[in-house]
Amino acid sequence: MIQISHLSKSFTLNRQQKKELGTTQNSVLAVDDISFECLPGRVHALLGPNGAGKTTTLRMLSTIFKPTTGTILIDNIDAVKDPQEARKHIGFLTGSAGLYARLTPNELIAYFGELYGVSKNDIEMRKKKLYDLLDMHDFQNKRIGKLSTGMKQKVSICRTMIHDPQVVIFDEPTSGLDVITAENIIQLIRDCKNQGKTVIFSSHIMGEVDLLCDDITIIHKGKVLFNNTMEAFRAQQQAPNLTAEFIRIVNDQKTENA
Amino acid sequence: MIFTVFKKELRDTLRDRRTVMMMIVIPTLVFPLIMSVFMSVSESFQKEAAEKEVKIGLVSNQVGSLEADLLKVPESLGKRKFIPFTDTLSLIKAIRSDSVQVGIYVPNNAEQSKKAMQPISVTVFHDGTDLGMKERADAYLTYIQENWKKQRYAELKIDEAKVTPFILAYSNVASSKEMIGKLAGGFLPYLFIAFGFMGCMFPAIDLFTGEKERSTIETLLTTPVPRWKILFGKMGVVVLSGLLAATFNLVGIYLSIEVLNLVKDPVVLQAIKDILSPTFIIMLYALLCPLIIFFAGIMIPIAVRAKSFKEAQSIISPLNLLIILPAMVGFFPGVELNEVTALIPVVNIVLATKELIAGTLEFHLVAMAFGVMVLLAVIAIMLSYRKFENENNVIS
Repeated sequence: MIQISHLSKSFTLNRQQKKELGTTQNSVLAVDDISFECLPGRVHALLGPNGAGKTTTLRMLSTIFKPTTGTILIDNIDAVKDPQEARKHIGFLTGSAGLYARLTPNELIAYFGELYGVSKNDIEMRKKKLYDLLDMHDFQNKRIGKLSTGMKQKVSICRTMIHDPQVVIFDEPTSGLDVITAENIIQLIRDCKNQGKTVIFSSHIMGEVDLLCDDITIIHKGKVLFNNTMEAFRAQQQAPNLTAEFIRIVNDQKTENA
Repeated sequence: MIFTVFKKELRDTLRDRRTVMMMIVIPTLVFPLIMSVFMSVSESFQKEAAEKEVKIGLVSNQVGSLEADLLKVPESLGKRKFIPFTDTLSLIKAIRSDSVQVGIYVPNNAEQSKKAMQPISVTVFHDGTDLGMKERADAYLTYIQENWKKQRYAELKIDEAKVTPFILAYSNVASSKEMIGKLAGGFLPYLFIAFGFMGCMFPAIDLFTGEKERSTIETLLTTPVPRWKILFGKMGVVVLSGLLAATFNLVGIYLSIEVLNLVKDPVVLQAIKDILSPTFIIMLYALLCPLIIFFAGIMIPIAVRAKSFKEAQSIISPLNLLIILPAMVGFFPGVELNEVTALIPVVNIVLATKELIAGTLEFHLVAMAFGVMVLLAVIAIMLSYRKFENENNVIS
């Protein structure tokens, strides 16, 4: 389970960043007092336009960034106070994340297994299970740099799941992938849900959200615009489809702010 | 966990062709290459100098005893050919155009002066940029002068020993090892330091900026390993790479001596073998360790902050000059390790290594140099830690 309460994150700007952003402010607020909850066995979508604060939020959940204010509970562990313990429960997969090109899938999976404190026997056992599931046996000893995008994505999935996390965070996991490769991710999210894991994922693709999600949070400029179940989202829908509804909510907010 | 990170990073690094070139191939080959080039150039120069027929312009209006004796100078003093000139102006012109290499002017009254047992004023014309030519003329004239002196002593019935107030003998109390250490000993630490630095450079950029650029750092930071342990694991590989580069330099020296037989002079060979003792190698590593950690510690914050490999390289490469220039201090004979130089980073390690090679080490000065470098290494590690802990620097 993930519980987020009054979460904010501001970044201090250096001179060059101020120049690039055309601002005189010393800091920028990327996430502004957001609260929501993700439940086990449910898939929670985090939606928002570019620069809304999705990645920053997910980076705070995965403890890469420390929140400026607010609390995060991961399976009832305070991720702000005890990030190391919280990380043991988290699997993190991003669409933009790279892999060590000079290692083989076997070496990479063993490395991350060790980093997560998984015993050698468990690593071997889980690796076999995941390799069977993802059909990875043929390329397990090839250098990752020589693998296709689809194969790399399978390695990423395996890396994310090697410690059998209870909370899985996906940051735009299908971005840049073709439909066949993206299908592996969709299947993984479904499997996680069926196994009773807590899943949160950010995406731009409303089709994916519609297909997979039980709950939805829409954020814009760091603030929560909508937070409820998918049923509730569909029930209040005024636009003809989900994408149009998402755009309508964001635009309404823009009009209110103006 | 530090060791897990270290093991993985080492494996990754050793599979990077660029790093392997800088860490193993170039440091191993550089000494044999320098030595073989130096030996072949010096051999060919010596051979050329011995075989070269020096054209000597002779300005003389008579065929006197000096001219005759000059023609009779033994070939063992070097091949030569005398070319007559009528005046010094044309002689100078010929020297400048290198049609003759050196000129000797014998005055008209030479024969009378000889008969009167007066000194003859002989002038040697030479081009100061044409090295060794003046010495060649000097050798011929000294040979004749010594013969004539002996003839005169005989004619005057003077015992040569009685007009020789003393006979000079030089006895060098410095060992060959000391001579090599003091005069050429700066070269070795320079190589160790330069390659130690370069050995650190690519792994530092690859393991920090490279991770950022390839977007692998994000997944690493979501593992339950404290950041300082990740830093130390990575830093360990950077330091090891620097030390390995220095080690392969030593391997190169060993290959030059034992396998390729590039050092022919038995005295120099024995001196080098004496220098490369186990004690020397242990002491050398003790001095190099804090220095290489210091190098890693100044490169890592730059690599952590840089957004791309190119940016990191453009900052670290000029830093190379800042390190190499003080390391060159070791080339100057006379610059020694003292209470002041022991406090100057890099310079202190170069001079301490130089003293170590010469075997003239003063332990309190080495302890000072070592202490300074350990202190700087600790500061550099702290700086790396601060930069790596800062989330804004680690994530692009």
